[in-house]
Amino acid sequence: MSEVFIDGKRYEFEGDHMALQFIMDLGKEVPFFCYHPAMSIPGNCRQCMVKAGQYIKNQDSGEYELDENGERKVRWFPKMQISCSLKLTDGMVIQTQETSEEAERAQKDTMEFLLINHPLDCPICDQAGECPLQIQTYKYGPEGSRFEVKKVHRPKRVQLGPRVTLDAERCINCTRCVRFTDEISKSHQLTIVSRGAKNYPTTSPDETFDDPYSLNTVDICPVGALTSTDFRFKARVWEMSQTPSIDITNGKGCNIDLWTRDNEVLRITPRYNKEVNDHWMPDAGREAYKLFNENRVSRPSITLDGDDQPHTSWNNAIETFAEILEANDSENILVIGSPHASVEENYAVNKFFNLLGAPNARFVSHIVPGSGDGFLITDDQAPNTNGCRLLNIDEASPEALRSAVNNASVVIILADDLVGRGVLSKNDLNNPYVITFATNYSDTTRASDLVIPITCVAEHAASYINVDGRIQRSFPAKETKYTNRRLNLEMSEGRLDRYGTSFDNWVSDDNKIDCRPAWDFLNKLAERLGLGFSYLHSRAILAEIADQIPAFEGVSYERMDEENGIQLITEQQEIKQD
Amino acid sequence: MAEQELVFTESELEEIEKIKAKFPTAKAATLQVLWVAQRKFGHVKPEVQVLVADTLGLPHSHVHGVASFYTQYYKEEMGKYVLDVCTCLTCQICGGYEILDHLEKKLGIERGDTTEDGMFSLKEVECLGACGYAPMLQVSNEMYVNNLTPEKVDDLIDSLRAGNMPEFESMAMPQHKKRNAG
Repeated sequence: MSEVFIDGKRYEFEGDHMALQFIMDLGKEVPFFCYHPAMSIPGNCRQCMVKAGQYIKNQDSGEYELDENGERKVRWFPKMQISCSLKLTDGMVIQTQETSEEAERAQKDTMEFLLINHPLDCPICDQAGECPLQIQTYKYGPEGSRFEVKKVHRPKRVQLGPRVTLDAERCINCTRCVRFTDEISKSHQLTIVSRGAKNYPTTSPDETFDDPYSLNTVDICPVGALTSTDFRFKARVWEMSQTPSIDITNGKGCNIDLWTRDNEVLRITPRYNKEVNDHWMPDAGREAYKLFNENRVSRPSITLDGDDQPHTSWNNAIETFAEILEANDSENILVIGSPHASVEENYAVNKFFNLLGAPNARFVSHIVPGSGDGFLITDDQAPNTNGCRLLNIDEASPEALRSAVNNASVVIILADDLVGRGVLSKNDLNNPYVITFATNYSDTTRASDLVIPITCVAEHAASYINVDGRIQRSFPAKETKYTNRRLNLEMSEGRLDRYGTSFDNWVSDDNKIDCRPAWDFLNKLAERLGLGFSYLHSRAILAEIADQIPAFEGVSYERMDEENGIQLITEQQEIKQD
Repeated sequence: MAEQELVFTESELEEIEKIKAKFPTAKAATLQVLWVAQRKFGHVKPEVQVLVADTLGLPHSHVHGVASFYTQYYKEEMGKYVLDVCTCLTCQICGGYEILDHLEKKLGIERGDTTEDGMFSLKEVECLGACGYAPMLQVSNEMYVNNLTPEKVDDLIDSLRAGNMPEFESMAMPQHKKRNAG
């Protein structure tokens, strides 16, 4: 076991470690900008300097040489070392800014250089509040600048690509974005151009930064140089609350954070999960915030004459639903589950109608061959195809589903735009009475007779099983008409949520959707029908699933939270299935 | 100037292959192949950078980054002769700006511009490492013209107009006179 002495404390280590990562893993801090654990180490921001040296060992005796006080003598390296690329060796001594005034001074001076040409526009900069340069200047930077000359001007508001905007003056040339396109997304679209105080990242003039992962560069940019064209100037980061969730736009299930203000999801950023998406997510997944805000089904609606689909009350919706179920033979009810809905929703819906005597639910997977890229974009367009499979919902071909629809008198569709994605046609839904549980208006809801608005992934806690067989769960991020951020102990509160009141003019209740979780609606329907079906929370549904279905044994929200998701299908099982 | 088709000829491609063979990676040949291109086209405009990148099988962005780093690569069409007038410290003290101003007046253009007949481009540059014979200028990344005076500049322009590049001038440093004589 090798030993290293950091800020006077002894630590043991094995194998290769760089000082910076090792120090961070200890929970301590050294300021840095260009280093990123997922990428190569260029060592070009020079911010992570520490004082380092080696205890002197007597060559002959192997004993440490001691000074007059009996302390071990240190042979310091002649200059400050950048800790990001300083490989730990046995007996190394490191002093960070916490114990070495020299290191503190070196960091301060480096930062003074970085700030020479950096504009002082934090009050209007999108990065403010989550800006490494801002916070580290506050913590480690100089009080003022000795550079009284005019700052160098560089291009501003450059549209690098469809989704990324560059402000070159803010750039400190850490090259994280360039390395991202070289090493992670491999599009090689970015480079640093020009030199000295004038350089900044951009594309070749004949190209545009349309990398399908381009917005990750905005996340890793340690300053406000790269900003999201879409999110720019929409909100200050401290106004939003941040809630962990799962990307539902494809089968990978990237771990994400939903950023909400006034119950609107304003942006989506990736959340680190080594097993799934590392630090990254595709740009397409970030667009999903619109699904949570716009075109939402709010209040139930019933189709009357023709295409007229007026809103109705929940009581009327429940009564109509119950009457339809009572008027039809349960054998003729077709329940269609959904790879776009969660494990809990699929299970609850299937169980409810099974209790009524309806046949097992079916689902049609939503796979577009060739649309994946082998990284984080998958052929599977739905987040929970494996969930439907593990719940033993019958996987059907579009043809089989079409003939089943034609033979049914009542069709119940769970959150799946079957018409929009070409599985069914509008005409297929003409004859049976069609009831749709839906989050958003779609061709399917417009072809339905009764539409029940249900919560989306941003409004409920529910789990999804990704293409690799990993079960992961969401948290409620935005309130519905029937939930309350302060009473629901699972919801995170941002500064505005905590301190704003209804009487503050910057808080709005307008964006709360009139919808219920599918299971909650079924509770009410069961009450009306006199059915023994009641779940207080999705947690109870998952507990029952874990109890009833062997594939889910031992699965719970607690475990998912602690382990960042649980692998349910191992590769060996997959090979067996083949 | 007539639009030139942006392609390399067979013999140029052969030359590029020879350059590539000298380096372990194609990336390392970027600088030299950019020179091949600039000698042929007189510039490495973005279109030429793309040609170089495609010829070497490199990302367009990489070649763009390299070309933009070096001032010696011309990212736009330049005059037949590019006059790089040094105005760095030593030349400045010895009259670099007087030479530059004189050239501006004589050619009727400002620094950074090209004459209408496409003969001359005038640039202000940083130190070219010839402080011992300041003020000086360089013609088209090649010949140094040293110890400039307005008269010497006039002669230079005339001879360039006549199509004669200045000759290489061996400069002796005063402190080395003894060594060189011996």
